[in-house]
Amino acid sequence: MSVQTSKSEMVSGASTGVDGLWWKSLCGLLMLFVIYGAFFIAKGAVNFIGTGDVARIIFFHVPVAIQCQLWYFIAAIYAVRVLMTPPGAADRLAIDTKSGTAMELGFLASILATITGSIFASLEWNSYWNWDPRELSIVGLLLIYAAYLVLRGAVSANPNRRAQLCAVFAIVTVIPATFLIMVVPRIPALQSLHPPNVIVDPAATSLSYKIVLWSSFISFTMLFVWLFQLRCRTLGVIARRQARRTR
Amino acid sequence: MELAANSSGRGPLTQRTSEAGTVTWVEQARAIFLKDLRAESRTKVAFSAIGVFTLSSLLLMALATATLKELKAFSEPRFYQAFDRLHSSSDVAVKSIVDAALFPAWSDSSKMAILWVLLCFAAFAGLSHAFVHEEEAGTTLALRLTMSAPAVYAGKLMFNLMLIAVVTVVVTPAFMLVTGMHVGWPLVFAGTMFSGCVGLAGSATIIAALAAKAHGTGALYGALGLPLLVVFIALLMNAANTVYAPQVGVVQALKDVGGLISYGVALIGVSSITFRYVWEE
Repeated sequence: MSVQTSKSEMVSGASTGVDGLWWKSLCGLLMLFVIYGAFFIAKGAVNFIGTGDVARIIFFHVPVAIQCQLWYFIAAIYAVRVLMTPPGAADRLAIDTKSGTAMELGFLASILATITGSIFASLEWNSYWNWDPRELSIVGLLLIYAAYLVLRGAVSANPNRRAQLCAVFAIVTVIPATFLIMVVPRIPALQSLHPPNVIVDPAATSLSYKIVLWSSFISFTMLFVWLFQLRCRTLGVIARRQARRTR
Repeated sequence: MELAANSSGRGPLTQRTSEAGTVTWVEQARAIFLKDLRAESRTKVAFSAIGVFTLSSLLLMALATATLKELKAFSEPRFYQAFDRLHSSSDVAVKSIVDAALFPAWSDSSKMAILWVLLCFAAFAGLSHAFVHEEEAGTTLALRLTMSAPAVYAGKLMFNLMLIAVVTVVVTPAFMLVTGMHVGWPLVFAGTMFSGCVGLAGSATIIAALAAKAHGTGALYGALGLPLLVVFIALLMNAANTVYAPQVGVVQALKDVGGLISYGVALIGVSSITFRYVWEE
């Protein structure tokens, strides 16, 4: 089914049959491959505690940490679109729903990244929390996501006001989010325990690691896009039902 | 695509006066600042709230960390001379253990971070007053009709900046007396304190506007604003390290204090662009 159809379905909330079956099946297969590859294809990593088996959590932790950052900026782009759309326009609330959904997914990803990171830290660095700058970045984003959702809940009675205020909050918090992602991990005073450039340096990982890690990136991205579509569609149905009741 | 709000950001009356060339937005901002200042001088509600909150927090913090202050005596030379006499063979080991235990909690830069945590909490307890007062008094509509959105933002920002600067000037010496925090490198210290005030006022003003429009309570204001301060405190700790390490040089000091003020300036820049969407219905 075409992309245009799926986009219009997301806005209208109408759904007939399984849309995009091929990439959803591919997502499932890739996920299975990542689970198998993380434990049976990739070897134990060097320079880690013991046999290096603890490093296998990287295949799940790093992709969700990246999703956590990615969905923030997707939400901010939708927030800009909300402010650029006239208040009476039909699709304004649908765009706001997408911005809010992206924030919800970012919140979910940041919780998963914090939990998986803490498990790794407890085994590798002997503490669940080490005040590492990257730990600070993720938990900072987690708090911003949570604050956004608190604001969304506080103004839920008036959808237009909710769209306006939440969009402004999402855009204003681009500054702390950018600083958290780009600046805080590079502050000299906060020394990081995370090894630098593992992802971008080709020499830092073996071929088996690269294959599993990149498959994990792709499959997690597909999974989150799928969740995004499902959530937007569900919220569209709820909004239409509420509109019918108030009529 | 058409902008949702009036792109000029001006109310109808303001447009007329501006066309006549009589009132610029700078003059409007000044008028709002002076109005808030006059209102504050009558009641002193915001200043009293922030000041009492900060001083009370300072007292509680000092009480809770009194044990740490006593332990600090263990790192003084005369104490080690006593240790030398008693345990000459294990002097180095004892010193390293005591230093390791004390440094992270109670260095001068840590004290400055604690001071700013107090000021952050105080700011998010009282700086919403500027917008909440307009909503409570029912003067928001009048202000919206007569003043442009950028002027309202600038006026409220200047008032909040002035308020937090005054509280900082009053509270910092008291904090230094209680905790024994040093000035360090004076110019960098002043620059860090000023940059901190800019960042805090920048964060607090736009969040106050959002919370007031959401008809939120003080809890909502804190919940929305405090997550923005994670970066602020991280940058402040970085600058504080430079304040107490003059050997790092002028360039590094400029970079660290510049990083802190750039956060505040960037936040104010984005807030000034988006404020009209909060202010106008």
